[in-house]
Order: sequence, then C-alpha cells, then structure tokens
Amino acid sequence: MSQPRSAAIIGAGPAGFSAAAELRRRGFPGRIQLLDPDGLPYDRPPLSKAYLAGGSATALAEDSWYQANAVEVVSGTAVQLHPDSGTVVLAGGEEIQADAVLLATGGTARTLPVPGAEFLHALRTRADADALRGRLGAGKRLAIIGAGLIGAEVAATAAAAGTAVVLIDPVPVPLVPAMGPEAAAYLHSLHARNGVETLTALPVDVVPDGAGLAVLLEDGSAVAADTVLAAVGMVPDTALAEAAGLEVDDGIVVDSAGRTSHPRAYAAGDAVRLRSGGHLERRAEHWDAAVRSGQAAAAGILGQEPPEAAVPWFWTDRYGIHAEAVGSMTRSGSSVERGLPGPGYMVFRVSEDGTLAGAAGIDAGNSMRAARRLIALGKPVDAAALADPKVDLRRLLRPRP
Amino acid sequence: MSEGIRVAAADDIDEGEAITVDSTTTGTADDIAVFHSDDGGFYALNDTCTHEEASLAEGWIEDGEVECPVHSARFCLKTGEALCLPATVNAVAHRVEVVDGDVILYPGVAPAGS
Repeated sequence: MSQPRSAAIIGAGPAGFSAAAELRRRGFPGRIQLLDPDGLPYDRPPLSKAYLAGGSATALAEDSWYQANAVEVVSGTAVQLHPDSGTVVLAGGEEIQADAVLLATGGTARTLPVPGAEFLHALRTRADADALRGRLGAGKRLAIIGAGLIGAEVAATAAAAGTAVVLIDPVPVPLVPAMGPEAAAYLHSLHARNGVETLTALPVDVVPDGAGLAVLLEDGSAVAADTVLAAVGMVPDTALAEAAGLEVDDGIVVDSAGRTSHPRAYAAGDAVRLRSGGHLERRAEHWDAAVRSGQAAAAGILGQEPPEAAVPWFWTDRYGIHAEAVGSMTRSGSSVERGLPGPGYMVFRVSEDGTLAGAAGIDAGNSMRAARRLIALGKPVDAAALADPKVDLRRLLRPRP
Repeated sequence: MSEGIRVAAADDIDEGEAITVDSTTTGTADDIAVFHSDDGGFYALNDTCTHEEASLAEGWIEDGEVECPVHSARFCLKTGEALCLPATVNAVAHRVEVVDGDVILYPGVAPAGS
C-alpha cells in the first residue's frame, strides 16, 4: 500500500496519542484526526492516585500542542468501521474517512460476575474517578474488590484521606506473577501497615444494607461499606474491530508494527494482542506498553520499521513508595534478592542460562533502569554482584578499566 | 545576567553523574541539577522532574539525555526538552561553563547557543 495521506485514530489514550505524536515525529504531512468521547487526551495513571486525591487532571499534552502539530481532536464515539473505504461512523451519524485507521480503543473495567454488581463503582475513566472522589474521607467506608494495581492504589489513596478501607481479594498475595513473590509480599504488607484491612475472600453477592452496601463473602461473612469498588481488571474494547471483520482473539490481533488482518486498519494499546513468531502473546495492559505500541503502529502506518521491542515495564505508586518491575518475573530460573524489603529493595529473576529475565524494585531508581538495560543486553549476569547493594548496577553495564 | 557560581571542580563529577545545587545557593525557585553527560559536556536543568516529584540529578544519564529515576520521562540535557511521556512540559535549562577546571553555573541564564 502506498503511503497514506490521512490517518484517523480511534481512542485518545496513551496509545492513540502516542501514535499521533509519532506520525508527526516521523514527518507524516497528512491529516490526523484523533477521535475520543472524552475529547482531549488525558493520562490515566493519576486517576487512582493524585487525581483521586483531589489533584487536577493531567493532560497528555498542552492544548497548544494539537494546533502546533495539526492534530484534530474530534469528540465523539465511533460505532462502525468500514476498513475497505477507511470510513468511521460516529454515534451521531457523522462520518470521518482516512487512508489509514488506527484502533486504540482500550478497554472497559471488567464487571464482577455476582448479583448486585450494578451497585459497584469501577475506575477506568476520569468520570469514574470523579464519581469515587467525593466518597472518600474520614467517617466513610470503602470496600475494594480486587487488590491488584488499581485496587491497591485506590486503597492507599483512600486510606491517606482517612477512609476506612477493606481490601478483598481471593488471592492471598496479589501481583506475584508481575512482581515475583518476594516483592509482591512486601507490597501487600504495606496495606495492613497503613491501616487498610485485607481479606482473602471471594465475594459472592452485593446487597443494599441500610444507607450503604454489604459485600457477602463465600464463607458467609459480610463486609459493610458506603461504597464498593470493583477493581478486577479490564475487558478489551474489540467490538468495532470484530464488526469490521478484523481478526480478534481476546484482543485485536496485530503484528509488531500494529498491522491488523486488514491492510488499512491498525491497532495499538490495551485492546491488542501481539502475534509474534506464530504465538499470540498476552495483552500487555500497561501504560508503557500502550505508548510503545502506539509508536510502533505509527511506523507501521508509514510502512516503516517499528522500533525494537522494549523490555516490558510497569510501576505502581502507593503509600509514598514507588514500585516497578521490568521484564519477566516468572521465567524459569532463580530469584536473587538485593537488600531488605523496604526502599532500595530489589528482586532479580535470573534465567537458567544466566541472563537477567526480570527485576522488581521498591524505590530503586537507577538500579531499575540499569536492570532494564541489562535485560535488553541479554548477557549472563553475576548473581553475587546483583545481590550486593554496594555494587552499582551501572558498572555491570559499563565496566570500568 | 546573573553571576556565575562555582559549584564543583569538573573532576569531582564523574561522567554519567550529577550533583544538586540547592535553591538557596542558586536563588532560583527549584534546586538545579548539574550533569556531567556521557558526551563529556556539563549541563544544568531544574532538578525536579516536570511530571511528578523526583530529582533528575538522581536520574539515568545516557546519550545526552537524563531519564527520570521514577517514571522514566526523558529530557534533553542541553535544552531541557521533554522527549517522551509521561513528561509533557520541558525542564528549564541553565548555562554551565567549565573554566580552569571549575564548573560554573549561571542560574536563570539560558544555555549558550540556545
């Protein structure tokens, strides 16, 4: 296909926004339309943290950026895609047309499959955060179902605001696959240390209880709360792609340059699943992956090589600490701890071939940045050096004579 | 134009390292980070990341850029330009000169050639 003269991007989260920015950075001179029901792109990680605590919304770019980069932001919801003609039909019946269409549709918060789920809050959009904001504070009770990233961050934000928080998850220690058991256990222990009650339990029903709600648990007990948040993951928004006949398998299937099964349609962000070497990977569902997949799709749209795949990275901020993980903490091999649980603590996952597969860290700063580069380097690492907090990990990358 | 301040001997800041100069010394609103880049040059930016609270002096210095040690926003050391999300606002850059082995910082003065 010859170089497109126009691009329409459906969804203005980090993937859609990054694709627009990357198209311009690569010199694309054509029209770019960025379509989203929420209008101007904003950043979502603060929705469970600073924004939920009362801070202002964080835009992904200053307003002047859109004019300076000739990116047209269209407020609207796409309801149909005709990939053969590149036509996108909006909810009001208007149509936009482009030579290339990028689906950066993200997802919606997964609903809890129990009776009474309609009483529950979710947290995915700014509107969700606005609905939750006023329900935090001293004298208020919040039950959170799901102690993964968003549930745990909301627990920390709510507890800091004086809310009485109960955090419910059927798994005793969440995030073990993402952070490894050692770092995950430390992170989870912070809840109790900060006055948040954690329950290992399976919710089976949510019922009205006076002015509030009761979360009924499988063991017959109940948790009373004024507000209940379900933080149980996301469902990729693939309806548009499916109806358009694109290949979808629990995510819009793409290659490393965001190409879908239709030559005019591309996809990026939380809604996609990467096919790599004949194998379908898990959806990434992290901010950094969304940014990078948007950039890769921009390269794909222009018929250019996408940047080399990055080592996966995510972070979580809670109770004043910053935790990060890079690479894989589940690869077969062994774990190496550095320091003691607390600020500066790290856990490395060393593969059986002696290379570094992953690292998790608590307030570990540049040591995490070194770990990400060591993983990318793919050379055997010295486990004793990793375990020694006195060894500057940068020296493993840049040996000095 | 403000007076230059001697902030260190050039030899005292290794390549790939940075120091923080306190705002009480610089007279600026923010502390200033002075970087010895891996290209050999010395550069200065406001120390606080423009995204959230973090010290850029503690960041990762590579290829004439600094990567924030918290959320990995990157800034150009020469100009302060924000190079990637999550930063959307440029960092303020200040002029630095090396004179007779001393690192001289000019708080509030744009870098030479900018």
